[in-house]
Amino acid sequence: MSRHLAVRDIDWPLVLIALVLCAVGVLQIYSATLDTEFHSAWWRQILYVAGGWMLMLVIQEIDYHTLLQYVPGLYIGSVLALVATFGLGQSAFGSRRWIPLGPVHLQVSEFAKLVIILLVARYLTELRTEVLEIREMLKLAGLVLIPTVLVLKQPDLGTALTYLAVLVVGAFIAGLRWKYVAVITVVTVIVLPITWAFVLQDYQKTRWRSFIDPERDAQGSGYQLIQSQIAIGAGGMFGKGVTKGTQTQLRFLPVPHKDFIFSAFAEEHGFVGVVFVLALFFVMVMRIVQNGQTASDPVGMYICMGVAGLLLFHILVNVGMVAGAIPVTGIPLPFMSAGGSSIWSSFLALGLVNNVRLRRFVN
Amino acid sequence: MAERRLTVLVGGVLLWAAAILFTLVKLQVVHHRQYAAMARARQEMVVDIPAPRGSILDRTGAPLAMSVPVDTVHINPLKVDPVIAAGILSAKLHQDKNELYQRIVAARKNGRGYLVVARNLNWEQGDSLSRLPVDGIELDRQSQRHYPKGTLAAHVLGTVDFAGVGDAGVERTLDPYLRGTPGKEHVLTDVQHRGIETETAVPPKPGVPVTLTIDERLQFVAERELAAAVAAHGAASGSVVVMNPHTGEILALASYPVYDPNAPPEAANAPQRENHASSVPFEPGSVFKVITLSAALETTRLRPESIIDCGNGSITLFGRTIHEAHGGYGAMPMAQVLAKSSNVGAIRIGMTVGQQNMYEYMRRFGFGQKTGIPLPGESRGRLRPLSRWSKVSLASVSMGQEVSVTTVQLAQAAAVVANGGLLVHPRLVLKIGDQLANGDPPVRIIRPETAITMRQMMEGVVMPGGTGYPEARLEGYSVGGKTGSAQIFDTASHRYTHKYNGSFMGFAPLTNPAIVVVATLNGTYGNLGFGGRAAAPVFHAVAQEALRVLDVPKDLPEQAPVEQVAATKPAPGDLAIAELGSPEPNILEEESDQEGAAPLVEIGPKVPDFRGKNMRSVLAQAASMGLTVLPDGSGIARVQFPPAGATLHQGERIRVRFAR
Repeated sequence: MSRHLAVRDIDWPLVLIALVLCAVGVLQIYSATLDTEFHSAWWRQILYVAGGWMLMLVIQEIDYHTLLQYVPGLYIGSVLALVATFGLGQSAFGSRRWIPLGPVHLQVSEFAKLVIILLVARYLTELRTEVLEIREMLKLAGLVLIPTVLVLKQPDLGTALTYLAVLVVGAFIAGLRWKYVAVITVVTVIVLPITWAFVLQDYQKTRWRSFIDPERDAQGSGYQLIQSQIAIGAGGMFGKGVTKGTQTQLRFLPVPHKDFIFSAFAEEHGFVGVVFVLALFFVMVMRIVQNGQTASDPVGMYICMGVAGLLLFHILVNVGMVAGAIPVTGIPLPFMSAGGSSIWSSFLALGLVNNVRLRRFVN
Repeated sequence: MAERRLTVLVGGVLLWAAAILFTLVKLQVVHHRQYAAMARARQEMVVDIPAPRGSILDRTGAPLAMSVPVDTVHINPLKVDPVIAAGILSAKLHQDKNELYQRIVAARKNGRGYLVVARNLNWEQGDSLSRLPVDGIELDRQSQRHYPKGTLAAHVLGTVDFAGVGDAGVERTLDPYLRGTPGKEHVLTDVQHRGIETETAVPPKPGVPVTLTIDERLQFVAERELAAAVAAHGAASGSVVVMNPHTGEILALASYPVYDPNAPPEAANAPQRENHASSVPFEPGSVFKVITLSAALETTRLRPESIIDCGNGSITLFGRTIHEAHGGYGAMPMAQVLAKSSNVGAIRIGMTVGQQNMYEYMRRFGFGQKTGIPLPGESRGRLRPLSRWSKVSLASVSMGQEVSVTTVQLAQAAAVVANGGLLVHPRLVLKIGDQLANGDPPVRIIRPETAITMRQMMEGVVMPGGTGYPEARLEGYSVGGKTGSAQIFDTASHRYTHKYNGSFMGFAPLTNPAIVVVATLNGTYGNLGFGGRAAAPVFHAVAQEALRVLDVPKDLPEQAPVEQVAATKPAPGDLAIAELGSPEPNILEEESDQEGAAPLVEIGPKVPDFRGKNMRSVLAQAASMGLTVLPDGSGIARVQFPPAGATLHQGERIRVRFAR
């Protein structure tokens, strides 16, 4: 089956766009961490990108059908690893997300995303029906919810939501009846208030509150959002130039090389730079969707749509968050935010897309 | 199926993306200016650059107060390595290494990010530390006020508070000039308010140096003599004022006790900080008779030669008996009333003047009002309004009781006599920066003839038989003055005590006085505590030195002063006495020394005898001799002053009264 694999069949526009975004990210990480204790983050990021590239090449070699056979094992392994983070996890910024593995700290939840994509793809394919029945939908939802709850408990709301995003995209494309879509929407509307009252932690409630009225407590929970908005707004049309962004350089902007890298970029490169990066992301997602449409079988399509949905969710939530369009949710910007786990899982996701693409001409 | 679903999905996603793009456009394009301004407001701090405080100089340009930059070194204990920081700093600052290490560790433990290691570094230390390439060790340059002459002129200079703002003396009153205008600096700060980049927007405008009228040489002599006299006479406090009678410039202003403005006493109301020259009024006693007699010359027909009946040593008015300090004088000319300081005589003269005129002239001489000297907390003294005068008030004020004055006010009053009748307000400021400070224009308050006559009579005080003889006499200069010894009134028991305010006010040279010197000692006792004994020597030493320093030409031939047996001589009485239940015999019954009226060699033209001549011939004769005559009345010359045969001092005019 892998007879026709050729280097030129890789989706080069897709991976080049990813590399350009990585380069922009490295530059921004360099600028944002200049003269800080994180000043070495930029070359670490280069190593991560190189590692991510290797992972992508490796995973696209393994036929995705083979990968799908390992889904039960991968799923159980992921859940166990997530449980393990509570025991071994390194606590940082008030949450346990990382498992120390030699010199690097792996964020299990980032890799679990890929397992969820494969899980959803295999489950929906094996149904072999035109319409997704609610019973099947609930079973799948139950499977996805286990790791979701585990990640939510770390606590890491942003990553947990990405799992649900993959589920929702998959279920929708799989043909969930419109009336169920409507029911789910209604349930969400009713469930959300209950969730607010009984499930959400105080810091999560505070984030929602600061979303609704960020000016209320400028130095408190609304602080990050206001600083981020100021950074973006101060950037203007053309930005202040690399290492010239004062919000970033004077450290008003929190974690400017990670979750808020887009604000730092917006301050230094302005609206023009923002449109450039968003256009790259748009083309990237569109190419992934196109790869899904040209996939040789439904499972390949589900995988690509899962990856597209995942990346899209990341981009829109992260940019929406730093711009103040949606609540502050800790979630990295793919390919740009500093961090090995995020980069690797993003490249692995691209690897899955290439995997599907390379095998589109079967039969 | 999947295609349609995909379309819907893409549609929803695009809507979402559009909403975010809309937000970005709003932030970066529409409201860009507003957010840029918010960023600046958070990142830029406008910091004051302190302006160096202006120096205070004496009239010769010698610095009395100056600001010197000093460095304070502080560290961030959380950022430095305690061992390295303690090692470096202890070596540079010569501190104990272990102790410093302990301090840093203790601060670290408490989570303190700021620790002052040493203040007031010298230049060398500051320079070596400023070039230290260690993070977390920082220098602050501050300005410290330094008074290079120590206690000299402390009460004039005052002090500055911890913030460098003047809180006493001219430091306080001239603060607006000395302070300068702080500059402005835009500091780009990071989120922890650490300065990253600075840009000077407005450079600081240094404070203006102020030149005082004080002459540090005279100030030094005044303080030295005052301290010596206070110690010699067991006084509690004292003050000396040296003033130019023509310009009002204060050449020296001393107050005792003193303090060092470099290390002022902690308490703001510490007794050393009291300025006894301008802030603490006292009953002047006999020196006030100058005012009484001036008023008499102005408003009555009394002349120096007018005979005053001083009785047998006491006078009883409305049931109150007032004694002379030294027996009875009988009848004597008014000039002798002043020279011998007869209380009874002064009272009789005062009664002739009347309370309306007496009050008017006290006001004219500036009593009961602030002189306007630029020192904080100046006292206006106490001068009761006429409506609150009792029956004996006129008698009391005639000899300097029931009125309180400051030494500065006395200097101002003495200057009126010295300069020919002009009230000149005392001034402390000669120049502000390069700008000459102008005083108020002088105001004529008595006729020049009155002033000249008073000068003549005040010379009698230092002449043999006067109360200021011989202590107040100067070598080579003629002197006019007045002694005063006021019993201190105890407000608790409402009785006069046996402690005195001994004072002397005088000027020299007599004909055209260059200086006025007033010395006051508070709380002297015994007859050596009288003004003539206690304060006149201060006058002597200060005036002698002042005339030498100012290079005033001598108007008397240089010769050894006619030495009197001063040491064994009883005290000439100039004491204003009232309500002394049982007068102490040793003070009150001593005889004034009358012997030794040694002839004084005088220079200048002799006054011709004008009496019996008509005005035309008097004026013609005077003109031929180069003399100036002030005629009064018409007809035949009847009275003249100075009398015929007297020596006429330079510039002095002869008053001649004509009558038919």
